Formats: sequence, C-alpha cells, structure tokens
Amino acid sequence: MKKELMQILTCPMCKGNLELTVDEERENEIVSGSLYCPKCQHSYPIVDTIPNLLPLDLREGRS
Amino acid sequence: MEEKKIKEVVKGRYAQIAKRDQRSCCPSCACGVSPLSQAEAIGYSGEDLKRIPEEAIMGLGCGSPTAIADLKTGEVVLDLGSGAGVDVFLAANKVGPTGRVIGVDMTKEMIDKAKGIAMSHGYHNVEFRLGEIEKLPVEDESMDVVISNCVINLSPDKSKVFQETYRALKPRGRLTVSDIVSERALPDEMKNDPDAWAGCIAGALEQQEYLEKIKGAGFKDVQVVSSKKFYIENKKSETIGNLLSITVKAYK
Repeated sequence: MKKELMQILTCPMCKGNLELTVDEERENEIVSGSLYCPKCQHSYPIVDTIPNLLPLDLREGRS
Repeated sequence: MEEKKIKEVVKGRYAQIAKRDQRSCCPSCACGVSPLSQAEAIGYSGEDLKRIPEEAIMGLGCGSPTAIADLKTGEVVLDLGSGAGVDVFLAANKVGPTGRVIGVDMTKEMIDKAKGIAMSHGYHNVEFRLGEIEKLPVEDESMDVVISNCVINLSPDKSKVFQETYRALKPRGRLTVSDIVSERALPDEMKNDPDAWAGCIAGALEQQEYLEKIKGAGFKDVQVVSSKKFYIENKKSETIGNLLSITVKAYK
C-alpha cells in the first residue's frame, strides 16, 4: 500500500484513525508492517503490500 | 443460513475460482464461452476491455458499472468486491494517473491475483485491500464514486453495505452497481442452499426491496439504468428463470 493513502484508511470496526508501523518499504510502497487501532486495541497486518483489514472473525484460521 | 456460514461459503468458492487457471466457468456459468466474449455480452465495451490486462477478465460480473459511472480524471473510486480487478483496471484507465482506484475484497486469493496483475502491468493508480464490504476500512466522505459488480447479492447484510457506501462517498458522490435481483420471491429451500448463495442466486433480493435498501441508506435519484433477464443454472441443471441483472445509479 502507498503511504499517501493512509489518510483515507480507517479501522473497519470503529472508523478511527490507524497508526502505521513500517517494517519494509520499497519505492514509496509499504511492503510489510502493521496498522494499529488504539481505540479497538487491535493491529491489522500489512503483508506483501496488502493491508488485511478483515474483521477478526473472518481471518484465516479463525473460522 | 447464518451470516458467518454464508461468508465462509462465498469466500471458499471465490478462492477456488481465483486459483483456477482456466478463466471461464463462473457463477453465471456460460461454460465454453470465453470470459472476454462473456464480458462483452454483459455490457462491457470491447474497446475498453482491450485496454486492460486480459487475465483480469474472469467473466464474473453481470453488468458494467464503470460504463455508466461517467468517471473523470483525478477521481477516487472504490470497487466493492473487486475480484481479479476487471472493473478496477477499467476505472483506473478512466481516472488516469492523478486518480485512484481502491479495490476491496474479502478473498485473499482474489486480492493476490489482482495485485499481481497490477504490478506486472504497471498500474500505479490502483490499490487493493483485504476487507469486508459491510465494514469498509475507508474514511467518511473520501470517495467520488463507488462501483460494484455482481457482489452485493452475496452479502447477508445488504443494508449495511449500502449504509457503508453512503458513508464513504463525498457529498453528491455516486454509486453505480450491477447486481442480480429477482422478479419474484425465491423459495426458502433455495435461500438456505450454500451453493445457491455462492452462485449469486440465493442472495438475490426482489428488485423493489433492493432499491428500497439503497434509498433507505440515504441515496437520492436512484435509477435502474439497465435491466436484463439473467439465466443461471442450479446444480440440478435447472434454469432459474426469474432473475434479472440490473445496473443502478444513485447519488449521495
């Protein structure tokens, strides 16, 4: 995901702002890291450039 | 059927379709017909299709929401249930390098496929997110246009999808959606059949109810731009005769 799109990204549950942590970045694109919602106290992973913003119950391994 | 079960079935089905190399045989299964000719048959412009990666065309839609969205350079577009990205890439060509198109899909395999296509074809104005269309991970009033193609019928909570869409749109933002609806109420046994959910049949609402849900979310000027008979075979190879594919335009 591109950093500039952080401004239109929100927590899918509470719609609050997310805090970005970057683990790896390549050419203006965040390859891996996480998006943390302080209100829900929940962290959404960014894996292979894709933010996983699925609610917890829809994540793999939880069904 | 309970909501979680529906989602799991739909997700599983589309994960399988994404992994398949052969690009036909979709819910609207016109087996033997190429996805490209199928896409043209449901309303896509052949000229527009030539300008997007062919592997994104899986023949899973039931209309062409970008064709009536009147997209302009620089606009920000959200595609609900973006699949392999056909409508995302069509929209991306229209909004140009200063615009953005964001695809949301709950199936990882589809997102991975779409992202791979975007990277190999050098699309810099598209983004993909794993997410649920009932709980959109985007800011209020951040989108100029929301599009969706043959996906909202798969949602067990369509009112929530339209409410979230309304929230995400800027004032006077527009929604263009192609979807399956029914002319008459579907039998209960069909509504409880998981395969019929994943195949775009069981989740189809009666047209009037579908439009009421759009209006109920706050949308104005809700118009059915096109409506066609839609034939789907069920697993017993019986044709379900009372389905329609409609394309609707509405404004916030």
